[in-house]
Amino acid sequence: MADDFAVLVADDNEVAQRLCKRVLEKAGYPVLIAADGLQAVDIALNQRPAMILMDVAMPGIDGLEAMRRIKAEVPSMPIVIASAHSMSSDRDRFLAAGADDVLSKPFRLADLIAVVAGFAKAKAS
Amino acid sequence: MPFAFAAAVLAAIIGVLGAAATQPEVAFPIFIGVVVFAAVLTGVAVAASELFRQYRQVAAGTQTKLDDITAAERRLRNVVDSADVGLGLADLEGNLTQVSDRLAVIFGRGHDELLKVSITDLFAGEERAMVSKGLARLRDGQLTRWATELSAVGLYMVRLPADPQLLVQATDIAARRRAETLSDCLASVREIIVASAGVDQALPQVLRQMCEHLGWSAGQYWSVDSETRTMRVRHSWNAADALLDGFLFASRGMAVTEGNGLVGRVWQAGILAVEGDLTRATGYEPLRAAQIAELRSALAFPIVQGSEVTGVIELVSRETQTPEVEEVTVLATAGVEIGQFIRRAGIADALRRSEADHRAIFERSPVGIARISDDGELVEANASLLHLLEHDADSMKGTAWPDLMRAYDQAALRQHKAPFLAGISDGGSLQVRAATGGGTWLWLQLTATSIPDSYGAPEHVLVMVEDVTALRETSERLTEALQAQRDANANLEKFDQTKSEFLSIVSHEFRTALTGIQGFSELIRDGGLEPDEVRAYGGYIFNDADRVNRLIGDMLDLDRMESGRMTMRTADVDINDIVMEAISRAAPSATTVEFKSDLDPRLPIVAGDRDRLIQVLSNLVNNAVKYSPEGGTVTLASRVDGRFALVSISDTGIGIPQDEIGHVFERFRRVRSGAAQAIPGTGLGLTIVKQIVEMHGGKIWVESAVGHGSSFHFTIPLAPESAQALQTSNG
Repeated sequence: MADDFAVLVADDNEVAQRLCKRVLEKAGYPVLIAADGLQAVDIALNQRPAMILMDVAMPGIDGLEAMRRIKAEVPSMPIVIASAHSMSSDRDRFLAAGADDVLSKPFRLADLIAVVAGFAKAKAS
Repeated sequence: MPFAFAAAVLAAIIGVLGAAATQPEVAFPIFIGVVVFAAVLTGVAVAASELFRQYRQVAAGTQTKLDDITAAERRLRNVVDSADVGLGLADLEGNLTQVSDRLAVIFGRGHDELLKVSITDLFAGEERAMVSKGLARLRDGQLTRWATELSAVGLYMVRLPADPQLLVQATDIAARRRAETLSDCLASVREIIVASAGVDQALPQVLRQMCEHLGWSAGQYWSVDSETRTMRVRHSWNAADALLDGFLFASRGMAVTEGNGLVGRVWQAGILAVEGDLTRATGYEPLRAAQIAELRSALAFPIVQGSEVTGVIELVSRETQTPEVEEVTVLATAGVEIGQFIRRAGIADALRRSEADHRAIFERSPVGIARISDDGELVEANASLLHLLEHDADSMKGTAWPDLMRAYDQAALRQHKAPFLAGISDGGSLQVRAATGGGTWLWLQLTATSIPDSYGAPEHVLVMVEDVTALRETSERLTEALQAQRDANANLEKFDQTKSEFLSIVSHEFRTALTGIQGFSELIRDGGLEPDEVRAYGGYIFNDADRVNRLIGDMLDLDRMESGRMTMRTADVDINDIVMEAISRAAPSATTVEFKSDLDPRLPIVAGDRDRLIQVLSNLVNNAVKYSPEGGTVTLASRVDGRFALVSISDTGIGIPQDEIGHVFERFRRVRSGAAQAIPGTGLGLTIVKQIVEMHGGKIWVESAVGHGSSFHFTIPLAPESAQALQTSNG
């Protein structure tokens, strides 16, 4: 079931890319990687991953702008903002911008898997 | 014998007429001439009467005619008796033989009584002697007519030509005398009023003239005090008499109320009143003092201004005085004129005081005041203005004032206001910069006020000139202080904002680093990894931990530098040596770029902290490498620039956008272009570099264009001895 639930990880930090890829693949989810906002929009619209894990502070267009563009095309695509901007005001700001959920960095690996599993389960049902 | 009397009178009159016609040089008042003319008329009438009487006696038979004659004679007799001139006949000794009723009245004797006396008996003293002498000369034939004016009577005697008789003619001149006296009195009063400077000077003299002319012993002027509604004596006069002094003193102590006493009654009624007999008076104050002073009569008349009684003049006398209607009229007139005079004097006094006040204000005012004619000429400048502008009256008029007017007009032009002469009536003020005669520049505030003439047209202008230099300077300093405070507040606000931003950025940097550290260490902890994986993840953890450590180090460094707690270990440093060391440190990890160096081998030693200078160069070299694409070139150059060593680090990298160049040395101002964002860094490096350069007394700047790379340049002062040596070798 998880095999067809591809997750796009959009993050300019290579360490974060590798961590997410390693953890999610181990949990059975195919992982796509985007290193900046434009790539994220491109992959999201062309390869239609099941959901997106989106960083905010990225070169070019930031994660919020990328999310806006993606949601404009595919409103149903779940996007979780994963950011080191993790004050409570930031969380509200991201949700207001259209995020389906927010994951604060640094995160527990279990939390990362739980967020993705939640959307995978929702899609399955 | 009436006929003889009439004939004699007629003859006498004809004689007089003849004399008057043939001897016009005989000095005789015109008045007497008129009287004589009247006498001629009456004389003719009397003569006619006598003729008719004689005729009646001769022709008594005709009763009707006689009756007519009798009636005519009676009428003519009446004419003679009612004439203003008294007529009589006397013998050469002066004994009166015939008299008219008028003559009796003039001399105040009975008709018959008069017939028993000589003319000389009617006079006394000097006058009697004069009349005797005149009579003697007529009797001796030295004169045929003799005339004189005595105190109360005008006397004229003519020796009749055909008869040893004298025609005696007398006129009552007492009334004329009185009229003349009254006229003189009024004239004197007017003269005083015209000549006097003020009421206080005039009134004692007025009182004196009235007393002396009209025969009163003392006089006093009472004036109304409008507040207490009483009258008090303001001025008095008397002919140096101790008893009168006592009376006047008593009067001075009184406050008369309206309607009480003689003075109070005059005040109330507004018309002249007389107390005819002070020995028996009841409504008079101070009665006792008046009686002690042996006063018999008092008169008071009002001083009138318009319809209001403002004062009363009281005259007192030791004689019984009963003023006639002419005197009453004259005093009433005087009362009105004195009232007008007091009023005018009051106005003049008020004007004089007002003028004196304004003069004093003009002359003593601490504010400079200039009086300007309506064509802009300086008429007068007060002492303050001359002092303020450090000019005398002449140079003020000649140059300083015209200069000031020009300055005014220029200032007015700048402020879109009317020039001085056009805008004089607006009363507004303008500040003008002007130099004094002593060369001091002042700010002057000019306020113009137009003074109209009596028709309302502007006649001249008053310009108030105030020195507002201190005021303006204070105000300017205040404005500056206020601005400084505003700037400080703005800085503080900006600082506050910067601090929040700083915190947000720092926490983001830390959390980003911690994401890797926490995630990979969790993976390792949970186990089940290949040895290669563990090694790789350990590397990630190490790198991020190192990054956090550097970030903390940079932050602490910067804090120490900015708070001045960083100490430098200064020593002689070879800049070229440091450049080479920076290259050798960077080269191993920077495999994708090529390093070039263009170093001046004769670059002198600088005085600096070697470790810090290495930090500067390493940072700049690392930046150049980080922002350079693969195959890029990083060039390091050094040379002498005046008394500085100049070091340049140039790359062929992405460059810095124009709007960011000014901010590259600010903390966390990392270039937000695509590639720059992917390049790790604490965002504090350039800030620290700038601090270190400036601590050495040097400068740092950057030249860059997007796509063409960046060049960072910094200077470090040469060591003093190096600079000196350089100077010598160049010299």
